[in-house]
Amino acid sequence: MGTPFLEITDVHKSYFLNKKRIDVLRGVSVAIEQGELVSLIGASGSGKSTFLHVVGTLDVPATGKMTFKGKSVFDLNDAGVAEFRNRSIGFVFQSHYLLPEFTAMENVAMPALILREDRKASLVRARELLERVGLGHRADHKPGELSGGESQRVALARALILKPDLLLADEPTGNLDPATGEGIHQLLREVNKDLGITAVVVTHNEALAQSMPRRLRLRDGHIVSAEA
Amino acid sequence: MEFAVALAGPGVIDQAALELGSVAIGFGPFVELVSAIASVLGFDSLVGALRYRVPASSLHGLSVHLTAGTLLWLAGWAALAFGLRSDVQVAAPKSDAVGRALHPKLGNYRDFHWGTLAAYGFGIFLAEAGFIVMYLLLVGKGSTSGAAVEGGLSPVWAFVWAFFLSMAMAGAGGFLGAANSRRLSTPEATMAILYFGTPIPTLLTLMHFFPAGMLRIAVPLREIAYLSSMLGENRPELGYWLVTAGLTLALFLGINFGFVATSSGRLDLRASYELFVASRHVSVFRWKLLVGVFLVLIFGIVPPLIAWAIVSAAEAAVERTRIRLLGLQDPLLAAEAINDLKVRGQTPTAMMTSLAVGGVGVGVMALIIVLSVMSGFEADLQKKILGTNSHGVVMKYTPDMPEFEDTLAKVNSVRGIIGATPFILNEVMVSSEGNISGAMIKGIDPKTVGSVTDLAEYLRLGAGSLDWLDDPSKIQARRLAPLGGAALDEQGRGGNTSRAEAVDGGEGEAPPPKPKGFVSDVERDPLIDMPSQAAEAEPVLPGIVVGRELAATLKVVVGDRLNVISPLGGELGPQGPMPKSRPFRVAGIFYSGMFEYDSKFVYINLKDAQTFFNVKGASGIEVKVDDIDNARSILHAVYEKLDGYPYRVKDWGEMNRNLFSALRLEKLVMGIILSMIVIVAAGLIVATVIMLVLEKRKEIAVLKALGVPDGGIVKIFLMEGLQIGVAGGVLGLVAGLAWCIFIERVGIKLDPQVYYIPALPVRIEPFQTALAVVIAVLVTFLASIYPALKASEVEPVDGLKSE
Repeated sequence: MGTPFLEITDVHKSYFLNKKRIDVLRGVSVAIEQGELVSLIGASGSGKSTFLHVVGTLDVPATGKMTFKGKSVFDLNDAGVAEFRNRSIGFVFQSHYLLPEFTAMENVAMPALILREDRKASLVRARELLERVGLGHRADHKPGELSGGESQRVALARALILKPDLLLADEPTGNLDPATGEGIHQLLREVNKDLGITAVVVTHNEALAQSMPRRLRLRDGHIVSAEA
Repeated sequence: MEFAVALAGPGVIDQAALELGSVAIGFGPFVELVSAIASVLGFDSLVGALRYRVPASSLHGLSVHLTAGTLLWLAGWAALAFGLRSDVQVAAPKSDAVGRALHPKLGNYRDFHWGTLAAYGFGIFLAEAGFIVMYLLLVGKGSTSGAAVEGGLSPVWAFVWAFFLSMAMAGAGGFLGAANSRRLSTPEATMAILYFGTPIPTLLTLMHFFPAGMLRIAVPLREIAYLSSMLGENRPELGYWLVTAGLTLALFLGINFGFVATSSGRLDLRASYELFVASRHVSVFRWKLLVGVFLVLIFGIVPPLIAWAIVSAAEAAVERTRIRLLGLQDPLLAAEAINDLKVRGQTPTAMMTSLAVGGVGVGVMALIIVLSVMSGFEADLQKKILGTNSHGVVMKYTPDMPEFEDTLAKVNSVRGIIGATPFILNEVMVSSEGNISGAMIKGIDPKTVGSVTDLAEYLRLGAGSLDWLDDPSKIQARRLAPLGGAALDEQGRGGNTSRAEAVDGGEGEAPPPKPKGFVSDVERDPLIDMPSQAAEAEPVLPGIVVGRELAATLKVVVGDRLNVISPLGGELGPQGPMPKSRPFRVAGIFYSGMFEYDSKFVYINLKDAQTFFNVKGASGIEVKVDDIDNARSILHAVYEKLDGYPYRVKDWGEMNRNLFSALRLEKLVMGIILSMIVIVAAGLIVATVIMLVLEKRKEIAVLKALGVPDGGIVKIFLMEGLQIGVAGGVLGLVAGLAWCIFIERVGIKLDPQVYYIPALPVRIEPFQTALAVVIAVLVTFLASIYPALKASEVEPVDGLKSE
């Protein structure tokens, strides 16, 4: 089988509440293959989001190793990590986290601008992408003028503009009503199938988790298969 | 029990060594400094009368203290090294992660980097030492404090180059140090600056305060002391610390660049999206903000505020009426309009941004206006001083210069000299019918004096002519009123008419009196002779030119007689030398605009002065140079041409040292005080950018998640501060120049009786103006470094969690 697409070994991570150490991840190891659509479920506070942040290099674990396409990610310097986030990872959070000063189109184009691609070309591509998620008519609106579902679709478009290898979604439908949420789920499945982007979706929603080909569960600081 | 174990563990000893070490390092220089100061003070109070004699004991005491301090300092380093070197013992229970490798980023966290300390420390130390060495090399050996020698640069340029190079050295040290540790390494930087950066300036300062030390070290470093005294306005220690502060700043900048460059793995100076994001964050370049701040700068706060209140009240009235009418038709449209109105309200940061722009603008404007006015005063004063006085003088160590004609030819052959004239200077008393006054009398050569000073021009503003000094028979004698009760009264009236006549020209209705050799007029007692003489034809007397104020004091006009009395040079009487007196006739009245000159100076022909003061030739030669700023070196060339001793030269700066150094000091102090405004404005910028950082924590986290490196975040917030600085600087520049032009064109009246200038003088010096703006922008840039670094420290996870 060779080296896996994404391999995480022995990740320990604690956080602190009033000087009290809480060990959340206690030696997490998991491997994910290219093109997989994975759901991650677990009780509140079990460390699902922390795990996703570690994978996305937003958080620094105490120990552990992560190889992505055969390269050790934790050994990268700041510029390398930033480039990894920029080019290889797309994030969708529970809140949309769009930049309020910029229009939907500019928000979508931001990762390309950060990569220092040509501004005009990036904006054209952002508009195309917005049309694909059904928001072409809202391209010049600022986040304050968009609804929750629209914002989340803009955030998804932003995560996809550089065609990342890995999409990390942290309860993307947590703030949405079931109908709107289903639309986002549909988009995620399309992205996985049509663009071949590997995706890890953290969710509370057992029904949604059931619809994913691979299901993981985080329990006692370890990742196990959901069926176990 | 646990406590006992912990106490016994080797960790405690290391900890103690660390603490002891840092205390000892801190106390080392402290001991040195305190003991040295104590010796200086004790030395002063004990043997104050003999302050410039050096008792061997005090030098000995100082060296003992210095040695003790240095040893303590070294011991401190040793203890620190011991404490840092050793292992840590853990007594806590073991976690699951025992044996696993720590994440590289955590592994690098808060480690003490000796290499970084060395880079910072040697960077600043070598920069200081290098500055001294480079300055001495550049200025050339054997320079006589201030005058450039062959192969050496002028002190100013040597300073600029040495400072530039040593700043580069300090910056490189900072860069390398930060690159070594890949972070700012504040503890290392603090230690480096305190323990490696302060010894040299401290030593130099002590050397200045401590005569024994001065004798020991100062001779080879006298150029540095001279330079520093120029920097610090005769307070060398100020100069040392100014240079040190500059080098520390360079180190600091180097550290920041090194951190930004290496923590991200490469130095990326492009700023495409950074600028895009930054300008959306602060949005300084909105016409409303810019125009508003500009109006405040020009008209003050109150008028624009009133105008704004009127406009916004009118706007609000219109808007409310519209909403009410809208509400009558469609309530929902009205609700939308109300919402729009709310959304339009300014955020606190927008308000802060305007304030910060205004603050920088006020600072820059005030700096430009005040410095321009002071430059105007200085230029005016310089013009007047150099109009009356020459740019430099050549003198001899003997009172006479009989060979002045040869010397004149030699002086004239030096490049840069555009005029030279001989002179004799002496102090005398001048008396007229009405009054008596002390004066500086100067014998001049009327043919060449015009090539050096503006005396001829000043005479045009007054009355009479310089030519009459050579040919006194042309001076129209004024018939004097007989002495008596009515004398003063009549003289006052006569003065007016006669002045008008004098302006009309040399030849009038009265025929010029028959020339007589003035020898026959010598040594007459005016009080006895005058009434009888005045009735007849006036004798021809040698001419004298007096200043307007002196003429007013003496109540004389052109054609009047004056007696010049010299306390020296007369015959020997029974009680020593007798004062010598001789009559002159006023040939002209000059007006220079400087009260001191107009009330103190009188001019006579060189030949008359030679006989009157018994001087052979001249007492010196006045020269005019083509470049007054280069007067010192041109005069040095004259000195070389004349083969030095017994000749000596002085330039205008030396001759008027007190005045110009007072003026420069005043300008410096004003500059410093006004820079406070800029610093306050910089504080505003720090506050604004910190508020921005706090407000944008979430955005910073998102940007990081999207792949912006720490360096990019730093750049974004630096640019936000810089935009505020540039906007404020440009507005301040425009407003300042507008004010200067207003003052110049329209003028602000001054009382000429007090200031001798009818209106406030303004001189816009491009370099100085540009410097004010550049410094303001630089300060704002420096001010935003700290908040920008804070912004880059926002952890993405913390920012995303905060909602």
